[in-house]
Amino acid sequence: MAVDDTGEVRTRAQLQLGLRTATLLVTVVIVCGLGLSSLVRHWDRYDQPLAQAGAFAALAAVLGVEAVLLVLRRPWRRSLRRTAIAVVFAASALSYATVPDGRTSTSVDWVFGAANWVGVVVLLGRPLWILVAFLLAHELTALLNLLVFDDVSRAALLRFATGSVNVIGFPLCVAVVASVLRRLGSAAAAAGREIEQARTAEAVAAAAHRLRQQRFAELAENTIPLLEGLADGSLTPDEAGVQRRCAIEAARMRRLFAEVDTVANPLLHELRHCADVADRKGVLVELDIRGRWPPLPVAVRRDLTEAALTALATAASWARVTVIGDSARVSVSVVADCGAVDVPSPKVPGVRIDTFGDDETIWMEVQWQATRQRTTPSRR
Amino acid sequence: MAGDSTADDAVTAVIVDDHVAIAAGVRYWCEQAVPPIALVDAGNRLGEVWTGPGAAADVVIFDLELVPGKPAFGELRRLVDSGRYVIVYSQHVDEATAIKCVDLGALAYLTKREGQAHLVPAIRAAARGRPYTAPSLSGALMADDAPGRPRLSVREAEVLRSWFASSSKELVAAKLNITVKTVDTHITRVRIKYANAGRTARTKSELVSRALDDGLVTLAELNQTVTAVSGVHPTAEDSLPA
Repeated sequence: MAVDDTGEVRTRAQLQLGLRTATLLVTVVIVCGLGLSSLVRHWDRYDQPLAQAGAFAALAAVLGVEAVLLVLRRPWRRSLRRTAIAVVFAASALSYATVPDGRTSTSVDWVFGAANWVGVVVLLGRPLWILVAFLLAHELTALLNLLVFDDVSRAALLRFATGSVNVIGFPLCVAVVASVLRRLGSAAAAAGREIEQARTAEAVAAAAHRLRQQRFAELAENTIPLLEGLADGSLTPDEAGVQRRCAIEAARMRRLFAEVDTVANPLLHELRHCADVADRKGVLVELDIRGRWPPLPVAVRRDLTEAALTALATAASWARVTVIGDSARVSVSVVADCGAVDVPSPKVPGVRIDTFGDDETIWMEVQWQATRQRTTPSRR
Repeated sequence: MAGDSTADDAVTAVIVDDHVAIAAGVRYWCEQAVPPIALVDAGNRLGEVWTGPGAAADVVIFDLELVPGKPAFGELRRLVDSGRYVIVYSQHVDEATAIKCVDLGALAYLTKREGQAHLVPAIRAAARGRPYTAPSLSGALMADDAPGRPRLSVREAEVLRSWFASSSKELVAAKLNITVKTVDTHITRVRIKYANAGRTARTKSELVSRALDDGLVTLAELNQTVTAVSGVHPTAEDSLPA
C-alpha cells in the first residue's frame, strides 16, 4: 500500500512537472522572444528606455527563479510567490508609466502581453480563482493606465479589447488545463487508494476465513462429535466421562483462542490459559518454570501442552505443571490427581511422552528435542 | 532422612518474618508435627534471633526480604558464619536468589508455596545440620549454568530434574527405577558438591566432612569436582556480596 501510494505521488509529481516546464518554456519564448524583440525594435521610441529594460529584467529575474526552482524540483514558497507577484505588478506599472502616449496595447506596449504569462508561471500550482484574479488585476492595471494616463480614443479601446483576448484567453486556457489535470490526478490517486483498500480488505477477509476453516477443522475432530452427541441425546451430561470430555474440549478451545495472541512466550501463555481452566474449578495449580528456550511452532506447542491440558482439565484438587527448557530441549511436566487419562500421541516427530504413577496421582512428561539442524551450539 | 530419629527430639526453631499470618501458619505446622517443634516468633526483629530464646533455637527460619526489594544476604551470611542452621523461607522463586542462598551456606531454600509440604522436614533436617532440597531449589540447581558450578553426573542431573518436575520422591524413584533412598542420596551428593565448591563456612565444612564420614562421597570424588572447576573457582568467590 505504501509503495503504491508513493507511486501515485510520483505520477502526479511528473504530471505537474511537465506542465510547469511547458508553461515556463512558452513564457520564456513569449517574454524573451516576442517581448524582448519588441523592446529592442522600439528602443528609441521610449521616453525612458532604461525603465523598460528594468521592467524586462525584473520579469526575466522571476522566470530565472522559476527555472532554478524547477531544476531543484521545488515548489514556490509562499513568501517568495508573493514577492514575485509584487515584482510582476511593479514591472508592469513601471513599463506602462513609460510607454509613449497613444501606444497602449501595441507592440510597443510589450509588457501587456508578457507580464500576464510570468504571473501564470508563478501561480500555476495555485487554485484556479487566484489565477483568474491575477489576470483580471493585470487587465485592470492596463485599463487603468489607458483611462487615466492616456487619451481614451476609440482606436485605443478597440486595440485594448482585441489585445485582451490574447492576454486573458491563452493564459486562462493553460490555467484551466492545469486545474483539470490536478483534479484528475487527485481523483486517480483516490481511486487507486480505494482499490487498494478494497484489495486489502479482501485479502484480510480471505485470511480470516482460511484461519476459521482451519480452526473449525481442528474442532471437528473432537468437539463437534461431542456437541452432536449432546444434542441428539446419545451422550448425557450426567455421566462423568462426558463431563471429562467436555472439560477437556473447553480447555482445548481456550488454548486455541490463546494461540492467536501475540505474547513474548506463547508456550507459557497457553499453559497459563490451561491452568486457568483448572483454577476456575477450584483446583490448586502450581506453575514453575526453569530455563529459556527458542520460539516453538504451534504444532510443537500443542503436543507439549496436550498432556498438561488434559490433566489440568480433569484434576480433582491439585496439579503441578513445570516447564524446563534450554536451546535444544523443552519438557512440560504435569503431576495431578486426575487418575488415568487418555492423551493423544504426539503428532510432531521429536516429541515424546512418558507417563508414570498410580490410579490416583499421575505424572506425565512431554519432551521436545530439537532436530539436528536446529540445534545451536549455545551450551556453555 | 525423616526416618533417621536420633534421641534429641525437642527441636526448636525461631522464625523471622514480618507477616503475622505466615508466622502463625508455620506455628500451626510445627505444633501439628510429630513430634512437635517448638517455635519462637521473632516477628521482624532480627535482634531476637541473637538474644533470648531465639539465640538458643536449633534452626533459624529466615524471610529473605524483610525490607521489600532488598534481600538480606548480609544478614544470612552473618547467621551462617556464627554457626546457625538457616532455612531461607522466601517469596522469591528465581533461580539466582536460591543458588546464592545455598552458596552463602543456607541449609535449605524454600519458596512460600512449598512451606506446607516441605518446611517441617526441612526443619528436622536442618536441626541435625543436614541440607534439605525442596523441588524449587532442585530446579534452580539443575538450571544453574554459572561458570563456577560444580560438575554433576548425568544421573544427579536427572534426579534433580525429576524431583523438580514431580515433587514426589516416590514418582522419581519409579521413573528412574531406583529406591527413594537413592533419590535422596543423589540430591544430597549435589548439595555436598555445591558446599565443597562454594565459599567456606562452618555449616558447609560440616556438611562435607559428615558426607565423607557417611561414605556419601569419597575424597577422590570431591577432589575431582574441585579440579573440574578450579580454573574458574576465583570467579565464584568474587561474585559473593561484599
